[in-house]
Amino acid sequence: MSRAEIAAASTEGAQRAPAFDTARRFDPLLIVGTLIVATVCLLAVWGPVIGPYDPTLTTASVAVPPPSPSEVPGLLIAQFSGQLETPPHWMGTDANGYDVFSRVIAAPRADLTIALLATALSAILGVGLGLLAGYFRNIATELLMRVSDVMQSFPVFISAMVLVALAGRSTTNIVIALAFVYTPIFVRLTRAEVLSQRSRGFVESARALGTSELTIAIRHVLPNSLTPALIQLSVTVGFAILLTAGLSFVGAGVRPPTPEWGLMISTGANQIILGEWWPSVFPGIAISLTVFGFAALGNVVERRHDA
Amino acid sequence: MLLRYVLKRLGVGALQLAGLTVAVFFLIRWLPADPVSRLVSMNASDEAYAQAAAQLGLDRPLLTQLAVYLGFRPDLEPGILQGSLGVSWVTGSAITQDILQFLPVTLELITISFVIAFLVSIPLGMLGALNPGGRADKGVFFYGLFAGSQPEFWWGLLFVFLFFFKLGWAPAPLGSLSPMSMAPVPVTGFITVDTLIAGQPRLFVEALHHLMLPVITLVFVLSGPIVKMVRQNMLRALQSDFVLYANCLGLPRRRVARYALRAAMGPSLTLIGILYGFMLSGAVLVENVFSLGGIGQYAVRSVLSFDYPAIQGVVLVITAISLLVYLLLDLVHAAIDPRISHR
Amino acid sequence: MRTQRCPNGQLNESPSPLQCAARLHPIARAVKRLGLGSAALSVALLAAAPASAQQVLILAEDVPAGLDYDGPSAAIPASQQGMVNLLEPLVGYASGGENEDGIIVPDFDTFEGRLAESWEHDATNNTWTLKLREGVQGCNGETFDANDVVYTFARAKSVSGAAPIGWFLSNVGSIAGFTTDVFGEDAAAKKLGDEVVAIDEYTVQITQSEPNALFLPVLTIFGLLIFDKETMEENATEDDPWAHDYVNNTNAPGFGPYCLDSWRKTEQITYIANENYYLGKPAIERVSVRRVPQSSNRAVVLRTGQAQLVTGLTPREYDSLQDADGVTVGGVTGNENLFLHMNFGVEPFDNITLRQAIAHAIPVEQIIQNGYFGQATPWAGVVPSGYPGYKAGDTQYAYDPDRAKALLAEAGYEGGEGLEAFADAFQLTYVAEKESTLGPIVNIVQSALREVGIPATLNPIPQTQYGDRQLVKRDLPFAINDQEKPIGVDAGYAIQLFFVSADKGGLNNMVNHSNPEIDEMWSKARVEPDSDVRTDILGQIQDRLMSDVAWAPLLEYRTQWAYSDRLQGLRWYPDNSIRYADLNVAE
Repeated sequence: MSRAEIAAASTEGAQRAPAFDTARRFDPLLIVGTLIVATVCLLAVWGPVIGPYDPTLTTASVAVPPPSPSEVPGLLIAQFSGQLETPPHWMGTDANGYDVFSRVIAAPRADLTIALLATALSAILGVGLGLLAGYFRNIATELLMRVSDVMQSFPVFISAMVLVALAGRSTTNIVIALAFVYTPIFVRLTRAEVLSQRSRGFVESARALGTSELTIAIRHVLPNSLTPALIQLSVTVGFAILLTAGLSFVGAGVRPPTPEWGLMISTGANQIILGEWWPSVFPGIAISLTVFGFAALGNVVERRHDA
Repeated sequence: MLLRYVLKRLGVGALQLAGLTVAVFFLIRWLPADPVSRLVSMNASDEAYAQAAAQLGLDRPLLTQLAVYLGFRPDLEPGILQGSLGVSWVTGSAITQDILQFLPVTLELITISFVIAFLVSIPLGMLGALNPGGRADKGVFFYGLFAGSQPEFWWGLLFVFLFFFKLGWAPAPLGSLSPMSMAPVPVTGFITVDTLIAGQPRLFVEALHHLMLPVITLVFVLSGPIVKMVRQNMLRALQSDFVLYANCLGLPRRRVARYALRAAMGPSLTLIGILYGFMLSGAVLVENVFSLGGIGQYAVRSVLSFDYPAIQGVVLVITAISLLVYLLLDLVHAAIDPRISHR
Repeated sequence: MRTQRCPNGQLNESPSPLQCAARLHPIARAVKRLGLGSAALSVALLAAAPASAQQVLILAEDVPAGLDYDGPSAAIPASQQGMVNLLEPLVGYASGGENEDGIIVPDFDTFEGRLAESWEHDATNNTWTLKLREGVQGCNGETFDANDVVYTFARAKSVSGAAPIGWFLSNVGSIAGFTTDVFGEDAAAKKLGDEVVAIDEYTVQITQSEPNALFLPVLTIFGLLIFDKETMEENATEDDPWAHDYVNNTNAPGFGPYCLDSWRKTEQITYIANENYYLGKPAIERVSVRRVPQSSNRAVVLRTGQAQLVTGLTPREYDSLQDADGVTVGGVTGNENLFLHMNFGVEPFDNITLRQAIAHAIPVEQIIQNGYFGQATPWAGVVPSGYPGYKAGDTQYAYDPDRAKALLAEAGYEGGEGLEAFADAFQLTYVAEKESTLGPIVNIVQSALREVGIPATLNPIPQTQYGDRQLVKRDLPFAINDQEKPIGVDAGYAIQLFFVSADKGGLNNMVNHSNPEIDEMWSKARVEPDSDVRTDILGQIQDRLMSDVAWAPLLEYRTQWAYSDRLQGLRWYPDNSIRYADLNVAE
C-alpha cells in the first residue's frame, strides 16, 4: 500500500465533511498550495539553467558550509552588483563538490517529470480499467479486481525496487514502476464511482436510444465518474515524488549525478553525522514543501467538490 | 454467515497468494544480473561457472525450478508446501530462518509506533473536530496535511542530527542495542519482550532508548493521515442524527464526543489496516537510517544483490501478512458495524 | 632445516616449538630491542605474564555471512575476516618490520612455518614434504595431525560447495590431480589420490604436477586453511558429507587463535581467545565485531571511544579522523589499486593509440588529492608494487592532456570527432554501492575525458551486476575498478589472473586481453624453476602490458584503519583481513 492509497482510502466512501467555511474567498491553503506547485513547475522547466553552477559538474570546493544568515544580505548585494568573481554557494557544497543550491533547484525536473508521467500513466490506465471493471461486470473484470487487490497488498516499496532493478535505473523504468504501483488506486476509485453511476437514468435512456454499451460507457458514464480520480491526481503526484526520493535513497532510483532530492539526501546522509547538515537538509526541506504543496492543492480540490 | 464470509475471503486470499508466488517467481527471473557471478569471482572458468550454477539449482529447467520452489518435488529439495522458502544465495542460511529473525524487529517497531501514533492522533483529531473552524481545528488540519506528506527518511536523519549529534539525548543510530551489550537469547524475536523474558530490565530500558528516535520518526509520519481521518470521521459523526438527538437531550459535551468517537472508529479501522501494510514495507527507509536489522533492510539487500529466493520470500511473507491484516480488519469492522452486510 | 621465525618476529633457533609459545611481553620486547642476550630473552619469555582480560569492539561493514571458503560467501571480505581468525594456515609470511605508521608488513621473500613447521622440496619429483607442528590444539582440545591436512585437501577436491575456492588455489599451485576434470561427471576425479598423502602422524607429502613456484604462496591463502577433521565429520550429514552447511551457519572448527563465541549473521560476531593456541593465548580475550552499515556511523562511534577499531571508511572520513583525540589512523600501501578498464572486445577500445590517449588524459594527482586525500601513490605497473616480481613498466602515461589530444588525433578521432558513435561504449561503469568513495573520482575522470574530447558519461550499477558483466559476460566496455587485489602474492599469479587469454589459462581476463606472445612467455615463466629467469620473463610481460595499455593503471591507494591509539600490533596481510591475535591494548 502506498501513501496515495491511504489518502484515497481515508476519503473513499465517507461522507465528506466541510472543513472550513467554503464560501471564503481568501483560502490560505489554496494560495500556498498553488504558489508551491507553480514554483516547482517553473523550476522543473528552468531550474537546471538558472542556477549559479552546473548541477552535474563538481567544483573544487568540497563540503563548504552555506553562509551564515547574517552574511546573506551582504553577499546578495555583492553578487548582484557584480563584485564577486565566483557566485557564492548559497546552500554550501557536498562531499563531491557539487553546489547544493544549483542541484536543489535543478532536481524538480527529474522528480516532477517522473511524478507527473507516472501519475498520468496510472490515471489513464486506472480510469480506463476501472471503467471497464465497473461497467461490464463479468468474470474478466472480477479477475481484474482480484489482481488489483493483490497488487495493492504488494509491499509497495519493494515492488518498486524490484521493478527498477529489473530493467535498470533509468527515468523511464522508474515511471513504469511507479505507474504499476499507483494504477490500482485509480482503478478502485473509478470503479466505485462507475458502479453508482451506471444505474442512473441517463444510462437507461441512452440504452433505449440504441447506443452500444461501449459508447455509453465512454461517452456518458466516464465523464461523470472522473471526479474521484481528479481529486486523487494532485495527491498522487506528491506521493510519487516521495516514492522516487525513497527509491533513490536506498540506491534503486535515478542514477548519479542526476540531481534528485532523494539522491541528494542519500549522499548527504553520511555527512550529517559528522555535523555537515546542509547537503541533506536543504533537499529535504524542498521535498517536504513540494509534497505538502501538492497535498494542499489536492485537499482544496476535494473541498471544492464537496461544496 | 460470518463463517462463510471468512472462509470465502481466506480462500480468495490463498488463491491470490498462489498467483502472486508464481508471478514473482517469473518476474524476478527477468532480473538482468546473473547471480552465479558472485560465486565465481575468483575464478570465472566455464567449469567453475557450471559448478556454481548447479549448486544454486539454476541448471534445472525453469518449470522444474518452479515446481521445486512450490514444493511439488520434495525429492529434489523442500519447497513451500514443506514449509521451506529456500536458501539465501547471500547468507547461505534458510530464508524462513532469516525472515523469522528480521521480521519481528520490523513488527515491533511499527506496532509500537502505531500504538503511540494512535494515542497521539485520536485526541488531536477530536480536538479539531470538536472545535470546527476554530484555531485548534485549523492547526490540527494543517498538521495532518503536513505530517502526512513528509519523507520519513529525511526526518529520521534530522532527528539523528538534532537529538544525537547536537543534544546527545538519543544513542547513536547503530541498531537495537548498544554495540557493547549482549543481545538476549531470541525467544519471540521482539527485543523488548525478549529482554523482559531474560530478566534484564537494564537491557529493556536500553532497547527502548534505542527505539526512541525511529519510533518518533514513524509516529510523526503516521499521525498525519490518522489525525486527518479521525477529524474527518468525527466531524461527520457529529453531524449525524444520533448526535443531534443527544445534544437535544442536553447530554454533556464529553459524553456526546465519546459517542461520536465510537462511530468514527469504524472507517478508521480500514485505514489502520492499510497503514500497517504500508508501514511494513515503508519501514525499510527508517531501518536504513537507524541500522535496525529489520525485514526492510533485508529486502533492500536482497533486491540489490539479486538474491532470488530471498526476494521471493520477502514479497510473499509481506503480502501474506498484509492480506491477513486486511481480512482481520474487515472482520472487525463488519462485526462492530451492523450496517455492513456480507456479500 | 630452515631457521624459522616465530610470527612475532623472533628468531627460533631451537628445534622446540615452545620457544615461540609465549607471546612476547612488552618487557621482553624491550629487552630484545636493547639487544640483550638470548639468555636474558629466555628469562623474559618465561616471566611473560599471561594477558589480562582485554576486550575490543570492532565495527565493520558486515559480519561473516558464512565461514566456509568453499561456500557462497567466500568472496566477501567480511566473511574471510572470520575464516582467518578461526582457522590456521600451513604456511605464512615472515614479518618485514613496521612501516611508517607502525603497521607490521610482511616480508614476501621469507616464508615461515605455521601449522607446518618446516618443509623440504624435492625438485626432481616435484614433491614437498611438510613436517607438521606437534602439540597444536584447537578450541575444544582437538589435536592437529596429518589427517586434518589430508581431510582439508580432500574436501577441496570434492568441489562440493557453492564455490570451489580450495580447488582453485590448489590448481593455481599446480597440485597434482586438482585439474578441471573434477568438474566432470566422473566421481573418481573428485576423490583425493596420492597427491596429498600422510606419511606419518606429523608428515604430509604433497606432489605438484609441474615446478610451479606458487606452491608455498597458495598455502598462505584463506582458501586452504586447515579444518579439524574430527569435528567436521561429526557435523557432516548424509546429504552434506563435507559439512558445508555446518561451516556456513554454525562454526569453522580448526586450529586458529580464536574460538567462535556467538554469531548472529548481519548483526554481530564474537570471538574468544583460544587458550590452546600454539603461539600462546592471544592478548585480547574477547573480540566483538558489530555490523554498522553506514561508514560515518562507524567513524562517530570510534570517536566516542566505544569501539576500538573500525574498517571500511571513506578516504574523507579517515582524513577527518587524523586529528581526532584518542584515535590513530594508520595504513599501508598494500595491494589495493585503481585502474581504468577498457575492453579490447568492444570498439573503439581495440585501438591501442586510443587507449594510450585515454591513459594520458587522467589527472592522477588530482584524484589522489581530492579522492584519496593524499593517501595514494601513482601506479607504475599492473601488478601491486609490493609483490615479488613486480616491475614498473618502461612505458609510463603521465597526465598530459595535450599529448592525449595528439594521440586521439593520431587514432583518427581528432578532437573527439567520430566518437559520438561510441557513446554507449564510453559509459564509465562503476559499482553503485561505492558511490561515497568513487563519486568524486568518477567525476574528475569524466570531466578530464570530456576536456580532451571523449564523450564520457557515468553509469553506476549494483555490485552483483557489475561482477556479472565483468567476470562472466566480460562485456563491460569501459569501467573504473578499485577492487582487484590478487590473492596470490606473486606477479606471475596476477598476470595469469588478468592478462592471459581465457583459453590459455587466464582466469579473470575481464578486458579480453589476448596477446599470444604474452601467453607463451607466461606459460614458460609458470614452470621456470630458476627464480631469476622467471622474474626476468615476468618483467618483460609487464613492460608489454604497459605499452599495450592492457589496463590504464592510475594509483595504488593505502589500505587504512582507524583505531584507538591504545591499540597496538596491527599487521597487514594480503587478504586485507586483520588477525586479532596480533593486537593488544596498551594500558
